[in-house]
Amino acid sequence: MEPINIHKFAPELHRKYLSFILNGKMPSSQSTMDTNRSILMYFAVSGLDILGEIENIPKERIKSIIDWIYSLQVVNNEDLVSGFQGSTTLNTLENKNQGSNYKWSHIANTYACLSTLLILGDDLGRVNRQAILDSLKTLQLPDGSFKGAKEGVENDMRFVYCAACICHILDDWSAVKVEAMVEFILNSISYDGGIGQGPDLESHSGSTFCAIATLALSNNLDRLTKAQFVALRRWLLYRFDGGFNGRPNKPIDTCYSFWTGGSLNILDAYEFIHNKNNPQFVLMTQDRHGGFSKWGHVVPDPMHTYLGLAGLSLMGFGGLNEMNCELNITKRTSEHLKNIQ
Amino acid sequence: MSDYSSDDESNEEQYVLYKDRPEWKDVTPVKQDDIDEPVVAIDYTKKFEDCYDYFRAVVQKKEISERALELTQTAACLNSANYTVWQYRRDILKGLNKDLHAELDFIEKIIIKQSKNYQVWHHRRVLVEWLQDPVKEKHLTETVLAKDAKNYHAWQHRQWVIKTFKLFDGELEYVNTLLTDDVRNNSAWNQRYFVINNTTGFTEDVLDREIDYTLFHAKAVTENESAWNYLRGLLLHDKGGLSKNKKVTEFVENLYESGNRSPFLLAIIVDMCYEQIGDGGGDSKYSLQRAKELCEALIGKYDTIRANYWQHMLDTLQSSCKDEAGASTSGN
Repeated sequence: MEPINIHKFAPELHRKYLSFILNGKMPSSQSTMDTNRSILMYFAVSGLDILGEIENIPKERIKSIIDWIYSLQVVNNEDLVSGFQGSTTLNTLENKNQGSNYKWSHIANTYACLSTLLILGDDLGRVNRQAILDSLKTLQLPDGSFKGAKEGVENDMRFVYCAACICHILDDWSAVKVEAMVEFILNSISYDGGIGQGPDLESHSGSTFCAIATLALSNNLDRLTKAQFVALRRWLLYRFDGGFNGRPNKPIDTCYSFWTGGSLNILDAYEFIHNKNNPQFVLMTQDRHGGFSKWGHVVPDPMHTYLGLAGLSLMGFGGLNEMNCELNITKRTSEHLKNIQ
Repeated sequence: MSDYSSDDESNEEQYVLYKDRPEWKDVTPVKQDDIDEPVVAIDYTKKFEDCYDYFRAVVQKKEISERALELTQTAACLNSANYTVWQYRRDILKGLNKDLHAELDFIEKIIIKQSKNYQVWHHRRVLVEWLQDPVKEKHLTETVLAKDAKNYHAWQHRQWVIKTFKLFDGELEYVNTLLTDDVRNNSAWNQRYFVINNTTGFTEDVLDREIDYTLFHAKAVTENESAWNYLRGLLLHDKGGLSKNKKVTEFVENLYESGNRSPFLLAIIVDMCYEQIGDGGGDSKYSLQRAKELCEALIGKYDTIRANYWQHMLDTLQSSCKDEAGASTSGN
């Protein structure tokens, strides 16, 4: 039976939407995203990569974006806060290229900036690897998890994943106590087979993705027992109900087409729910002016747009570039990473 | 002086920019250094720019003062996700030896409005740690959960408080209330497991009681994944595994006999068959033939979107049986 194509895919509109996020000026209502501009940039650039549009960005613009990213790099061996910031909010002409009060990197932004540099074809030549690793070391807690920054930020599975990506991209795991990290993940497996943000917490597809991808990146997927693997796979498959949800008895939402779909992909289990009609839910959440939202008929945002495209790519839909799920970048970009390592 | 409600549109007209405030006259505002061709730029309001120009100025000197404390309030109101603002604010609170109970009240109002913001919950947690006073935390999380019973931040905070300050008393009753409201509330089922696992543990008595509780709810709503998952979680603590608890197998068989075909019911029987076949059998109810029939029912009718998966389960079981048969033949 042919799929019922009621919601037509509009890649050109999504390109426009993401280009606007990247190059335009977002309205002041987005000021709450000010500290996470590098993450919005990653969503926009990686989304354009999935659409096959990176080569259409003018060379000078690629250069200016790369320069902006490097302007977020902090090298501060004294306070051990090296890495990347999320925005230029604290940057002034006075403290340019030097440490200053609270000018600290954040693990999620270091991850997002390194990924975006790769997508744009940079060779990471200006990344101060040793400084980043020395600082990363101080972010791991005794329970094996990671906090996001030197002080004042929580710790959970999201930041474990960021640490794993940073180590993988820099091709150096020496800053991380891998065994403690794996223990933290195993301790966060819930009675229902899924994985939470930490021990005792409810299973969630977002934290499950972070946990599985970390195990995959650190070659530790085999640390799951057979029973754990079977239960985890079942829990993930039950997240599918035409679209994907992130927890039992929660509504389906565009972003889980990647968090859940990507987890299934890493476990080689995506084929179990493959169906020609699967893209329909995600397509229904397209905005008519471009971008995707979590459900239909709500305002689109960069995160759901990116993850919607990534989810569609996993479904083999629309001639989109294929994903490397562990790293949450395209295979095109992970190939580039291999070439510069 | 402005207050946190300066965000309200009604107060917008009275709002005075920092550059026009006499008490800030001695400070030179410091501009943000973004490049000429901005990336993911935000069209900041005048108010935002003005506040953060002064924020950069005080941060530069790490000024610890009442006016800097007030400034962090505005900065947090303009972007409550700015973790640096909160960190600096905490450093000022400490430096000025401020009343942290007042700060608890302040952050409580923001949490109730913005209950899915990591930074405000973290601020709360640090204050509770400093005060070593968890007395208001259960109530706060209950207020937030009354609006959204599955709010992950609220549950995370609640579990942290309960574990850190040993506040398990009364928690099962709270969970019961939530499950009475909505038996599909997976967060509440998780909390139930959390409480038992960290208090009595799953002793024989507790296990028996919990199985009764779960079967009661699974019977009322048979297509509730949360209850079935909880039942499987309980049976992780049963020495007999999934398929040898008499109460559970009786329940399952009766439900099936009554004509119920919840995919979760069929799935658990398939898994019981798996277990029994893997163990070398023992209970003739749980045979390869039964698993085959159930998988086919799931594939054809009751769980068609996961048909490929159930086919895979069936293939795996059949080939493992064949291997075993092969192994025992060659062993003879």
